[in-house]
Amino acid sequence: MSGYVEAGYVVVLGTLGIYGVALAARERAARRRLGTASSIVSTGTSAKADSPAQAGEAPAVEHRAVDGSEPGPVQ
Amino acid sequence: MSTPARVLAQDRPAALRVLGAIALVGVAATVWLGLFVTPPDQFMGNLVRLLYIHPPMAWVAFLAYGIATLASLLYLWPRTRAEHFDRLAGASAEVGVVFTGLTLVSGSIWGRPTWGAWWVWDPLLTTTALLFVLYLGYLALRRVPGEFHVRARRSAIAALIAFIDVPIVYFSVEWWRSLHQAPTVLNPTTHKTYVHGSMFWTLMLGFVSFTLVYAWLMVHRYRLARLQDLEETEGLEVAIEERRAEGEAG
Repeated sequence: MSGYVEAGYVVVLGTLGIYGVALAARERAARRRLGTASSIVSTGTSAKADSPAQAGEAPAVEHRAVDGSEPGPVQ
Repeated sequence: MSTPARVLAQDRPAALRVLGAIALVGVAATVWLGLFVTPPDQFMGNLVRLLYIHPPMAWVAFLAYGIATLASLLYLWPRTRAEHFDRLAGASAEVGVVFTGLTLVSGSIWGRPTWGAWWVWDPLLTTTALLFVLYLGYLALRRVPGEFHVRARRSAIAALIAFIDVPIVYFSVEWWRSLHQAPTVLNPTTHKTYVHGSMFWTLMLGFVSFTLVYAWLMVHRYRLARLQDLEETEGLEVAIEERRAEGEAG
């Protein structure tokens, strides 16, 4: 066989193979990045949901005047 | 993470793997039959073996551009307008460009020992090169920034314009005096097939196998485009979350 035939097959199959592998790798990378982005978004969302103010676990803080000239919280 | 994004991020359908495996087996069988089983041609000798990959490349390129055109039409039609048609058009055109490039290269490799030149300004070759450039331009146009529907609409119009060259490529060997041989599988003038026996079946297998390869590549390219779109949306959500967190911390 002439070298042209082999060259033709190598070029065609090699190019398709490289393109296919590159597509699959890019898809995997995008999926991974999406997973990371998702965890950031969900962490942010859950942090908000778990915040003491929303969860009702905030420690009691009394607000009164510094020098005590005003009365404290109404009982 | 939005529900479609979550589904897509985890989605690895078995059907796609099966399609990839069948395509791989088909291509392997085509290569084995084409290189080791089929006989040399009475005129071309062993160079006929390039026939089992070169016409399938051209067929797949036409098919890819046909699907890109159909998807573009569906996008432009107000009743069927949907983002996935734009993605489908882009994915199919990109794979089509790869196959057009391979058509040109494999044809050039065949032309060197047959015609004595890597390239001649033959009508078929010239219009095919034009097709390659037109769709490269289409892909470049898709990357021009803009609002999604504006970008998608102008891309769809460009795809329709580029497709005009496809029938010109196919009929160029009939319309003009061409160095390239006329279609051998189903000649549009004589309605005859000029390939016989194992050579014919190997060529048919090549058509089927590379069509399956196109389907596998196109689905992956489509999925990648969808992930990239979701990534853009998710990126925006992350940026908003970060700004919100900064605001709360401040």
